[in-house]
Amino acid sequence: MTISRRQILGGAGFLAAAAALNGCSGFSGGGNSDSGEGGDNTLTFTTWGSPAEEEGFKRGIAAFEGANSGVKVELNLVPYEQIFQNIDAQLQAGTAPDLFRVDYGTIGAYSSQDQLLDLSSYFDTAAGEEFLPAMWQAVQFDDKPYGVPHQTDTSALVYRTDLFEQAGITSVPDSLDSAWTWDEFRQVAEQLRGSLPDDLYPFVYNWQLGGSTRWLSWLFQAGGRLFNDDLTGSAIESDAGTKALSFTQGFFTDGLVPPSSSVKSSTYADGAFSAGTTAMAFVGNFVLPSLDEAVTDFEWSATYLPRDERGACDLGGNALVATKNARNPDLAADFLKFMTQPEQMSDFCARAMELPTLNSLVGTKLDYQTRPDIAGIFVEQATTLEPGDVEQLTAPAMATINPKLRDELEAAFTQGQPVGKTLANIAAAVDGAAG
Amino acid sequence: MSAGTSSREESTDDTGPPPSPAITPAAAPGRASRRQRATLAAYGFLAPNLVLLGVFLFLPLAWAFLISFQESNGFGASGWVGLDNYRRLVTDPTFWRSALNTATFTLLTVPLSLALGLGLAVLMNSVLPGRRLFRTLIYLPMVISGVATALMGVLLFDEATGIINKLLRGGGLAGIPWQSQGSAAFASIILVTLWIRVGFNMVIYLAGLQGISPELYEAARLEGATSWQQFRYLTVPLVGPSTFFLLIMDVIYSFQIFDTIFVMTGGGPGRSTSVLVTYAYENGFVTRDQSYAAAIGIVIFLLTLSFTAIQWRGNRSRDTVG
Repeated sequence: MTISRRQILGGAGFLAAAAALNGCSGFSGGGNSDSGEGGDNTLTFTTWGSPAEEEGFKRGIAAFEGANSGVKVELNLVPYEQIFQNIDAQLQAGTAPDLFRVDYGTIGAYSSQDQLLDLSSYFDTAAGEEFLPAMWQAVQFDDKPYGVPHQTDTSALVYRTDLFEQAGITSVPDSLDSAWTWDEFRQVAEQLRGSLPDDLYPFVYNWQLGGSTRWLSWLFQAGGRLFNDDLTGSAIESDAGTKALSFTQGFFTDGLVPPSSSVKSSTYADGAFSAGTTAMAFVGNFVLPSLDEAVTDFEWSATYLPRDERGACDLGGNALVATKNARNPDLAADFLKFMTQPEQMSDFCARAMELPTLNSLVGTKLDYQTRPDIAGIFVEQATTLEPGDVEQLTAPAMATINPKLRDELEAAFTQGQPVGKTLANIAAAVDGAAG
Repeated sequence: MSAGTSSREESTDDTGPPPSPAITPAAAPGRASRRQRATLAAYGFLAPNLVLLGVFLFLPLAWAFLISFQESNGFGASGWVGLDNYRRLVTDPTFWRSALNTATFTLLTVPLSLALGLGLAVLMNSVLPGRRLFRTLIYLPMVISGVATALMGVLLFDEATGIINKLLRGGGLAGIPWQSQGSAAFASIILVTLWIRVGFNMVIYLAGLQGISPELYEAARLEGATSWQQFRYLTVPLVGPSTFFLLIMDVIYSFQIFDTIFVMTGGGPGRSTSVLVTYAYENGFVTRDQSYAAAIGIVIFLLTLSFTAIQWRGNRSRDTVG
């Protein structure tokens, strides 16, 4: 068969058009465009999740579909590291999913930019009161809810019993009231330092890979604040700020933490602990399943975070939100309501080792699947979070402040930047973002 | 990387003699018509690439240029601010630190990857047992995703649990602070980059070496030239076009380094491994200041373009050597 030049050119043109169209389709998020698949009875839901969380979401979705005939929820799982870049691009392109999962520190970046569905008409005051006040506050912007608190988590301290015994540490706090003071914690860390070889460290803190706001737990414990009372400027340049930063900078200068565990480290704290390189680690409860699986050659347990002027912890966990242009806002709101029903929430949290956000579940004993002996420590630790802390941690300006906070802490921890200069730089970043 | 690779491969294909349309003596109108058809055919073949380049390269580039003169509100740009983003660049110490790191990274990786690529190519071009296997092994990092190779870098260079420090400690030596000390972190990035990059350079040089006539070496040997003299006065000049091509591609690659640094060090410790692209990424996708990120992107583009133009003008004659 002879192929003419005209045919070749025609074929090339067709292939180019096909390639161009294929390329264009790569931008679509399969989301809420008018021509999207599935129609009004289909919801698209984008999230990240551990295997346990993935299973929890799948069970919740199956139950929702079972309870709503003809409704379909398309689950799109993406890695945590890229979910918000994807969501941002899709929101700008008008192809965002109907629903997505977002952490409390980031929700303000979306609600303040009018990207989320206002849920006021779906969740009245009574519905809001079913949630823990701090968590309900975490999803508010301009006194309107823009999401539902689906779960929360926080950090506590895990430790190796063998290294504690070796160092002669026999007493570990077994209640929130008896949690170590900063001085006591420091003493324990120094005792470990004295008994461990040079390449093992007393502890590692979980402020890596986007977790720099966990440093604020130290600030809150010292009685300090990042923002002033009306969130219009900074309040970190204070005695409490100086105390918190000096104390944590000492972790690095005194060799109490691995030098590679600063806020820009590419590996998480629980990885260092499970590799056996530290005696203690500050970790979130959501890593317990992976920690339980990874640690096979030593015994470990958990205790409460140290306290200073008060106890405090980090605000982990996530909300579920609907996008402003969701195809079927009523159905999206129904899904959010369904996923935060006690039955769904308790199943999800027990499966994924996370903490519930409903008042009705706080007193109940969830059927935690991993290390139920220490799960209660995290539940109790979460009660040290105060509404004032939540208000600061969920301020929309935090999205801009986070990278600056990370840079400044990194400079203080690894580059020897003086405490005063570091606090002044953080304060300038807060003033710039909040003012 | 993949886009860069394909464009390089297209360029390497362009080594044969240029196609010469068979022009036969004919009447002037016929010749003109034939030429027009040939021109049309050429554009027909070019069109698919031009369409793709236009839609996915030039249009976004022009868009980025526009956005760099606006301010960001987190979701798209709004409001015209003129040169404010560029003025901000001039007074931003992190930008200058990132630019300096980018320049240092380029100055170290380009000559080293060229030299190692040429050395390996000479080795793989000689009588070496299992050379096909070695060629494949050396080229392998190039065909794996950049993120995957960077993750392998983490396995090697993690300060606490990495293979290299474990070996050092096992041998009674102190571990190297790959993640907590700036120069060591920078060195780890360069080592992983060379590991990824050398295979590509080797393949291009290998193609160049195999185009050199063996008679030239035979003549040189008859004249009494040593191996080093053959390498210095025959091999190096005769692979000039390959060097020119690789120099441009390697510099562009080094200016655009991102995935390795993003995965291995996140720009740290401090700002010691922050480069222009990681800084642009931080502004565009973490701080959500996309206009400022676009301005940094335009600076990277202009730097790359200027360097390529200078190289192009300065080395035009080398393209015809060999």
